[in-house]
Amino acid sequence: MRSNTIGKQFAASALALAVSFGAQAVTDKDIMNDQATAEDVVSYGMGQQGQRYSPITTLNDSNVKSLQPVWAFSFGSEKMRGQESQPMIKDGVMYVTASYSRVYAIDAKTGEEIWQYDARLPDGIMPCCDVVNRGVALYGDMVIFGTLDAKLVALNKDTGNVVWIKKVADYQAGYAITAAPTIVKGKVITGVSGGEFGIVGKVEAYDAKTGDLVWTRPTVEGHMGYVYKDGKAVENGISGGQAGLTWPGDMWKNGGAATWLGGTYDASTDSLFFGTGNPAPWNSHLRPGDNLFSSSRLAIDPDDGSIKWHFQTTPHDGWDYDGVNELISFDYKGKNGKMVKAAATADRNGFFYVLDRTNGAFIRGFPFVDKITWATGLDKKGRPIYNTKDGRPGNPADMKGDKGEAVVAQPSFLGGKNWQPMAYSQDTGLFYVPSNEWSMDIWNEAVSYKKGAAFLGAGFTIKPTNDKFIGVLRAMDPKTGKEVWRYNNPAPLWGGVMATAGNLVFTGTPEGYLKAFDAKTGEELYKFNTGSGVVGTPITWTMDGEQYVSVASGWGGAVPLWGGEVAKVVKDFNQGGMVWTFKLPKDRVAAR
Amino acid sequence: MIQQRPTTSNEMNSTRLGGGPEGGIVTITRYYMALVLTMFTGAAIGQEGILDRPPERTYDAVIASGFLKVGMYQNFPPYSYEQDGVAKGIDADLGRRIAERLGVEFQPHWIVPDETLGDDLRNNVWKGHYLAKRRLADVMMRVPYDKKFAYMQDSTGEYMNEQVVLFGPYQQEQWQIAYNPAKLDPVSTIAVFRYHPIGVEIDTLPDFYLSSSFNGSIRSQVKHYNNVGAAFDGMLAGDVSAVMGMRAEVDFELAEHPDDGMVPATNGFPGLTKQVWDVGMAVKHTHRQLGYAIEAIVDELVRGGEMEALFARYGARYSIPGYYAEVLGAQAE
Repeated sequence: MRSNTIGKQFAASALALAVSFGAQAVTDKDIMNDQATAEDVVSYGMGQQGQRYSPITTLNDSNVKSLQPVWAFSFGSEKMRGQESQPMIKDGVMYVTASYSRVYAIDAKTGEEIWQYDARLPDGIMPCCDVVNRGVALYGDMVIFGTLDAKLVALNKDTGNVVWIKKVADYQAGYAITAAPTIVKGKVITGVSGGEFGIVGKVEAYDAKTGDLVWTRPTVEGHMGYVYKDGKAVENGISGGQAGLTWPGDMWKNGGAATWLGGTYDASTDSLFFGTGNPAPWNSHLRPGDNLFSSSRLAIDPDDGSIKWHFQTTPHDGWDYDGVNELISFDYKGKNGKMVKAAATADRNGFFYVLDRTNGAFIRGFPFVDKITWATGLDKKGRPIYNTKDGRPGNPADMKGDKGEAVVAQPSFLGGKNWQPMAYSQDTGLFYVPSNEWSMDIWNEAVSYKKGAAFLGAGFTIKPTNDKFIGVLRAMDPKTGKEVWRYNNPAPLWGGVMATAGNLVFTGTPEGYLKAFDAKTGEELYKFNTGSGVVGTPITWTMDGEQYVSVASGWGGAVPLWGGEVAKVVKDFNQGGMVWTFKLPKDRVAAR
Repeated sequence: MIQQRPTTSNEMNSTRLGGGPEGGIVTITRYYMALVLTMFTGAAIGQEGILDRPPERTYDAVIASGFLKVGMYQNFPPYSYEQDGVAKGIDADLGRRIAERLGVEFQPHWIVPDETLGDDLRNNVWKGHYLAKRRLADVMMRVPYDKKFAYMQDSTGEYMNEQVVLFGPYQQEQWQIAYNPAKLDPVSTIAVFRYHPIGVEIDTLPDFYLSSSFNGSIRSQVKHYNNVGAAFDGMLAGDVSAVMGMRAEVDFELAEHPDDGMVPATNGFPGLTKQVWDVGMAVKHTHRQLGYAIEAIVDELVRGGEMEALFARYGARYSIPGYYAEVLGAQAE
């Protein structure tokens, strides 16, 4: 009954939106059908399931070599760093974010700026997680995005004027927002980024029209969730039932599990899928237990924020294997001929997981990187079988002298795959995973200080595991775990992937290239150098009968922040801040 | 989450500050100095603004400008904190004294602590935070004075802290427990905290130490607070029976609450990786002359006993740095 009422309310509000905003407003329906419509891109993930698969075939393996740049747009100022955004397209206008919480509306035909919004960041802000931003959400006549000072900002899509601003968390306590929000049934859903210690992750829903908080769901066991009715907080159950089940002492109060990469949504199960970051404190010996819901995937009810199920990829994480990577819904035909409602994720920890998205049950899992040292495999329930001999970084209590014994862990904490989203092709049935081959040496470091006091830090170095390459774009078969093809890239891959029905897979490289590959064979079919490293995520759409591709360019993000041997590979790459747009001219569309 | 954690200071050495830009900085510094000396400061600041890099505030520039920006941790009693808009605390008073002796105005530069000292030095002393590249302190207080730290090398052999000079140790700091005698007998060993709750500042060495000692058997009694002051309040409220922090912090809280009956403990800290450490200051490595001038002032304060008086003002006991024990011999103790 309750869901019926909500359904009616929702229908009524959607109608009201359509009337008040005119034909060009972005509706729930537009967002729900995003993956099927060629003329727009109105969701992060090119469809709420996050498949990043376009059904457009105009541009394909036979004509991609004729793809041509049509315009490029500079984000301007000196803020040339880390352009990790995915652009959006609606009615011939591109909405794209840049680092330092900036948003641009650009004429998608000419590349001319319509408006620009620079969030005014507070003086002395120290965001935990670099200055990147991964994109906007569109709803009604609004462009909505999250800022480094942990606010949601809604702008008028035609003018860039502020409609509402809501504080999601306290930036002074270490929170920020870098992910693109998700829109589900008129609500803006966001997670939070957070510093290493002292924060508690959460997922929140806001009314898209007013910016009012609808529900909040903490992602650490023991914290109460709330729904808001007429401005009043109503208790909606403690995450995980009660405190202290999988945490010692009062550590759950500051358990980490930041939801910094946002989430996907699957309408068929009516579930939001959010990943969570590592537990705090960093040293796992201080917090025996699984430390729920850190390094997990959560299925969340979009109506009230209840947790439907969870799947923890790295219980008792001791390597900083955040479990934030996107969970992509997809259906496949099982052995008995029945369609399986599955979801897949390629975790920082090096394992690829296929789950039953109706209940979170483990279907299968396999490594998607060449080597994993911290675990010897997965058990029947998908739980890692730890390498108990030399897999876990040492206990500081056992330390003698200034430096603990180094442990080699592979993948490194930057992950077999980091934030950069993979793509799923409905034609090939393969996942295209932007992955990296690197390990880390990690040790306890007594010559360490914090805020004027002696401290016990962790020292670490990230090392490439091969001389010639770090990045590997892989085509993985989710049914068999087989790597169908791979493309080795000298620098680490840090940009998102897109697959199309034209048998193409697109991604960018830190060397500056936008590249296209044959989706079946991995043959490289196209490359164009954008002038700075590509760490953004490409999109494609059609306009006036021609197919377009866009990608942000601008080296940055985590990789250049780290010294050691990886820095040697990337030290000569120049930073930047552009969005590039390409099209296949009409006269180059050859029959396949 | 460490999707992107800013690295230690060597980031810039190895990746961006090659030989070319270093040369550029030297040239521009000279240009800047010429402007300061012959024209007016506004134009020089304008130049630096265009370049979006921190002003090169050498000794001469500091004296010419008439002020000294003293870097201090925000909200960190008794070392440095703000009360009614005025910078207070041991480090603030010391900074004031230094500025006075240099004949310039004291200007507080508040520091929000990052994850490690290396981060704080990068953000506040030599490079600037990437959101506020021009906001640097001329000198940073409360920087542990440790040769091992100063000469630490990363795995590729690069010195990690070569962009700064650590100098002028002015205090030796150590750990301290205060307890509630109504709840506890005098603390003879930390083993009692297997049975009694103890408050610590989150993500500090006392937190790690108590959470891992005795095979983790104290862990469930460790209560986490945002700072030592809050932990002390927790003790006054009866939530914990003791508090562990730095001695000056604990002494300060005891002095602030003289009638509440809390007392300092005399226990040792077996197995704790670092029991005592010297605290000094830091300047950018190109600003050694400023460091020498400040060092001379501070040395006088330490030897003349003024430093001890300065600590006493905040109810804190004072220990002369180990550096002086080495220099002066055992009688300094």
